[in-house]
Amino acid sequence: MKFTSYKPLARSVLLESLRRKDLWVVAILGFLIILCAGTLGFFGFDGLEIFAKDLAVTVLGLFSTIIAILTSCRLIPDEIKNRTLYPLLARPITRFDLLVGKLMGAVIVTWISFLLLCALTTVALTIFHVQPTLLMAQYVFAKMIGLVVVCALSMTLSIYLTPNAAATMAFILAFGTPMIVRGLVMSATSVGPVGKFIYSVVNGVLPQVQLFDIGGRAVYPNWAPVPLWVIGFLIAYGLTYSIAMLLAGWLKFRKQAI
Amino acid sequence: MKPWIAAGSIAGAIIVGTQGQQVSPIVNPPVRIVGLEAQDTHAAASLLGQFRTSISGFLYLRSDLYVHGGVEMRPMTKDEERRGKQDAKQAHDEEVKLDGDEPIVTVVPSEREDFRGIFGDVEREVASYKPMEGHHHESPTKALPLFSLMTWADPQFIDGWTSGAQIILWENKRESTDVAVSFLQRGLDQNPESIDILSEIAYCYLRGSTLPGAPGRQYEKALPLLERAKKIGFNNLKALSQKEFESLEENCRRLSICYRELHKFEEMKANAEDGLRIFGDDASFRTALADATKALGIQTKQKI
Repeated sequence: MKFTSYKPLARSVLLESLRRKDLWVVAILGFLIILCAGTLGFFGFDGLEIFAKDLAVTVLGLFSTIIAILTSCRLIPDEIKNRTLYPLLARPITRFDLLVGKLMGAVIVTWISFLLLCALTTVALTIFHVQPTLLMAQYVFAKMIGLVVVCALSMTLSIYLTPNAAATMAFILAFGTPMIVRGLVMSATSVGPVGKFIYSVVNGVLPQVQLFDIGGRAVYPNWAPVPLWVIGFLIAYGLTYSIAMLLAGWLKFRKQAI
Repeated sequence: MKPWIAAGSIAGAIIVGTQGQQVSPIVNPPVRIVGLEAQDTHAAASLLGQFRTSISGFLYLRSDLYVHGGVEMRPMTKDEERRGKQDAKQAHDEEVKLDGDEPIVTVVPSEREDFRGIFGDVEREVASYKPMEGHHHESPTKALPLFSLMTWADPQFIDGWTSGAQIILWENKRESTDVAVSFLQRGLDQNPESIDILSEIAYCYLRGSTLPGAPGRQYEKALPLLERAKKIGFNNLKALSQKEFESLEENCRRLSICYRELHKFEEMKANAEDGLRIFGDDASFRTALADATKALGIQTKQKI
């Protein structure tokens, strides 16, 4: 592992994203958020603070996940397709280093986009006189960890599948996991011990992205901040799952003929 | 592109646009089907109409989250009912019932029913979850702006108008009746043939208030609205949805009460006969018919 190689690799991902004008898309989305908020404010709907916050966390969660998946899914396939992988691998770095560096780049691009959207959303929320709270800060922090999981999952899927299939699978897992988990919980009470064990395995394999969404608490009033042990658990889980995904991707990528 | 093609296209768009009123009876029929499926049954409904209905439906469901303080609820499954799972009953000391009769439970399960271990514990800490057995509701007035928004987004969303009015009345202030009627009147302007809105305005007048200075039951004001709703309903009996049919039945019952209080026994008798004919053997219409016949008999004797 060569830590010094991660910075230029991550930087190349960021520069590529800037070249492709991905952040422009984020800026346009943010502008639309402000426009929608401004429209509601213009029509004089009072008392919509909760709704504005609800809309904000929904939009932030949706757009940031889309950006994370689309950024991460194309990294390795694009390098192979454009034949830019050869000069990269000619350097004294391992394939694992390459994956780590690329993942770091994808995470940085996603975080920049997310924070940009957060800043624009904060502007939109001020129209509704919404004050920032500790829960909102926790929401942003937890979401950022969750985005690392989404990036790692998407990049690994792109090593095993075609870019389009990987993106589709990543979307299904990122947006469908909460629903699948809900289904498992509802039906778990009617299965035996073996069934419950299988359910636990399935639940463990699925990326628990819903755990990183504190939006429900941040939106509605009278909820206490999330305890520190939960934040600690989220960090540990996010890192563990991401490393597991990275290793799973490396298992295939290390022997992949290019 | 050749200029005449562009000019022809623009002219065609203008002609189609000016003929938009002809589509109105299809998109916005005289008696609307209320509820979330409002425009689903009409293939002619425009894409915009579908979108607006989805937005208003989304907001309507969101209002439920408001009254539960963000705790997401779901109906209990048949299997859960069979197994005797305890549902989230609302507190006995609450006067107004805001949840329906369906048993409901929280979407995030309690620790006892969760097989996920630490994942479940963490979800209960990050999600807006709390045990809801015997739960209290937040003031529904917090959801009122949502109703303003949903009726603005989709003025044909009847449930938005009627539920919004109910929330205004729930505040139980001296001016609540006037505010609710004003809100419903805006809905009636958009949906002049809506039985539900007409009935709801009439209900506002009939409900009255015991607060000092507030008007009591206003039968004279309610009567023309109930009569108009009955006329619309009877003229469109075959087009009515189940919900509108039930609303019409309730409307006729209220009409009986109005006629009785205003001593219009001929009309009360006719209304009860209509009720028995359309809605079958109903105890309230039978009673109304008997009362009206008896009152008319007494009146006749007095005249003699």
